[in-house]
Amino acid sequence: MRKNVTALFIIGFLVILFFTVRAFVDVVKGDWQAPTQVYVEDDDTRLVLITQQINTPFFDAVARGAIEQAEMEGASLEIVGDYSQNEEAFLNHLELAIHAKVDGIIVQGKDTDRFKELTKIKAAFYSIPVITIAEDVPMEESLRRTYVGSDQEEAGRMLANALVSQVDATGSVILLMDQSHPYIQTERLIGIDSVFNKYASLDVVMVESDTSREQIKEATQRLLNLYPDVEAILPLDAAFTEPMIDEITSRMRLSDVRIYSFDDAPDIYPLFNAGKIEALIQQTPEDMGRLSVELVFKWLNGETLPLDFDGYHTPISLIKRADTDAHD
Amino acid sequence: MHTIKRKVTLLAGSVIVILLTIWISLTFFNRQTQAQYNVILERYLVLNEVNQNSQLLMTDLNAYLNQPTEMTRSELIDDMDDLLQQEHNILKLEHQGNHYPLTNYINLVDSLIESMNRSLSLFDQDDPEAARLEFDDATRIQNYISETTLGLLNQELTTYEDFYRNMIGQSVKINRFGIWLLLLLVASVMLVTYLFQKSITRPIHQLTDAANALSRGEFDEAIYVDSKDELAFLGKTFNRMRININQLIEEIQTKAQLEKELQENKLLLQASQFRSLQSQINPHFLFNTLNTVSKKAYLEGSVETSDLLVNVADLLRYNLKQVDREVTLKDEIEVLRQYIAIQQARFGKRLHYVEIIDQSALDLPMPALTLQPIVENAVIHAIEKKREGGTVTLEIQNQADIIQVTIKDDGPGMTKETKQQLLDGSIVPKEGHSTGIGFNNVVKRLKLFYEADGIVTIDTVLSEGTAIHLTIPKIKG
Repeated sequence: MRKNVTALFIIGFLVILFFTVRAFVDVVKGDWQAPTQVYVEDDDTRLVLITQQINTPFFDAVARGAIEQAEMEGASLEIVGDYSQNEEAFLNHLELAIHAKVDGIIVQGKDTDRFKELTKIKAAFYSIPVITIAEDVPMEESLRRTYVGSDQEEAGRMLANALVSQVDATGSVILLMDQSHPYIQTERLIGIDSVFNKYASLDVVMVESDTSREQIKEATQRLLNLYPDVEAILPLDAAFTEPMIDEITSRMRLSDVRIYSFDDAPDIYPLFNAGKIEALIQQTPEDMGRLSVELVFKWLNGETLPLDFDGYHTPISLIKRADTDAHD
Repeated sequence: MHTIKRKVTLLAGSVIVILLTIWISLTFFNRQTQAQYNVILERYLVLNEVNQNSQLLMTDLNAYLNQPTEMTRSELIDDMDDLLQQEHNILKLEHQGNHYPLTNYINLVDSLIESMNRSLSLFDQDDPEAARLEFDDATRIQNYISETTLGLLNQELTTYEDFYRNMIGQSVKINRFGIWLLLLLVASVMLVTYLFQKSITRPIHQLTDAANALSRGEFDEAIYVDSKDELAFLGKTFNRMRININQLIEEIQTKAQLEKELQENKLLLQASQFRSLQSQINPHFLFNTLNTVSKKAYLEGSVETSDLLVNVADLLRYNLKQVDREVTLKDEIEVLRQYIAIQQARFGKRLHYVEIIDQSALDLPMPALTLQPIVENAVIHAIEKKREGGTVTLEIQNQADIIQVTIKDDGPGMTKETKQQLLDGSIVPKEGHSTGIGFNNVVKRLKLFYEADGIVTIDTVLSEGTAIHLTIPKIKG
């Protein structure tokens, strides 16, 4: 009896001891590591890539290329931007980067006064080199060091050539343009016009719109009403393509009208793969990213002085429906 | 020796040690957590402070631009210095996740201060318009600082999320550990107390049992206490006491036995004294009476009867004298002859008595009444029991160193056992000896008298007879 009680006591004690030791080990093993305090040397090069359309396939590719190159060069590159095309926030990012005295700014060009004022006065005040990427702004107005991206004139020309080869020479073609006439669309228009001018019989109509989705749809409605027999539509802004196609499909069969577009908008490739776009200008955003970082470094290191004001053009190609691999 | 005192100290000590362990471990872990909390709070506070100071600076600058006094200016300069000081603290917040925004942050603060200085100098150069413009710039920069502060705080939360979760988990773990530790403490104290009370109560139990047994009078069971402390000592002492009591009891019992025997002996002695007194009265009276009867018989002419009475009287007188006195062989033979004469008067021709005596040995000293009892034995066993009677022969030989006395009869003899018993004195003499002295008495007295062993020897053959030899040395010892 006594022995049993003693044994019971000791067994209970040992069980509790076991759990206590386990709890103790749990406590001691606890991962107490705070994020390591690394003091990065302050003199490393800080670059910033600012876009209006962060997290779109196009700009993800730009960022990918830029980060790759930055890692190679040993610089720290920060990608900032907004999800929506919020101009105010975008410009604030730019201003913040300027006041934060980064070493170089790679920015999607924005053909507005405030953008130009920031790059021309503020960036120049802190002597921060600004390189526009994918979208350019006239150098005289922005004092950008250079432009890295597609040759928009050439892109317009290629797309217009594809268009005229596919539609009747007498058909009507609609160009959809941002009513604020941004520099990039103006460039594209120059290229397109250079082709259309050769085909005088072609009925080219210019429709303008705001950038809001409703406005685009409204503009599309208007042009469909005015020109029910339109043969081809060419939005100068890739962002217009998706709402436009959306509106067209709600009214008529899409096969009745050919659509030609650029690829620098989020929804382009799904539409193209679905066969809704006749021909597409395919740009090389990764090359843009890579090249822009490379050029900033060249400028910072004084290797290439000055940079080519006309810009550095990355390769473009034309892909046609059901022929995605074709290169023109 | 584990004393009870040491046990108590051990108990108290272990309890204190366990409590200390709990206290130290819980305090340690809590301090660790607290330190981590402090570090985090410190980070937040530093960021917040910078932000607030930059806001304050804007207010100062605005106040100065509106009311350019020495006081507002010095306030502005002071706050600017403060902000510059705090910039160093920001640097310490850097970790791998926030290098870029932190550098931005510091540069923004620099930009702010530069912008303010520009504004100030423009104001001093009497260009309030330009100063206002710079002030607007500074305001925007300040906004960015606020924004970046938020961003940094946000990033802090993101970066430290795992860390915070760990901290929460850790505090849960510490709580669990605390509970287990408390249970362990309770269990340990219970265990230690149990062992402690067992080590004390069990020996006490054993002692109690032993005391009960002693009180019941069971002194034979040894007391054993299963302990190593003072109680074991108590047990040993108790046991020694038990042994002592046992010995005392035995002694008392022996003493009582002796006392009883002594009492019995006293009673026996009194009885024998009484008897001897009784028998002392008789002989004197008998002796006088016998003499009177003898004279009367002689006067009445019965000579034979008178002689017999004289013989009886003489024998009685011889017997009445002290037994221990020294007589000669000659005296002994005389008494023997008187005894034989008496017996012959009784048995007539059945008793045939033969003497073969070496006259030169008659002066041999010897204890009184030595031969008569032996001869009486012979008469009792050899004559009385035989209808046809028998012969008793007394033979005395004077040899070189010894004198050999032999009393022989032709009776039924004895077995070897009877002979041995007779020599050992284990045969209690029957009553009826005329002188009251038995064979055994004779053997002992001879031994004492001559101070030598083996004086009496017996030769006996069943149904043929018995011969008692007294081998007496001439020189004593």
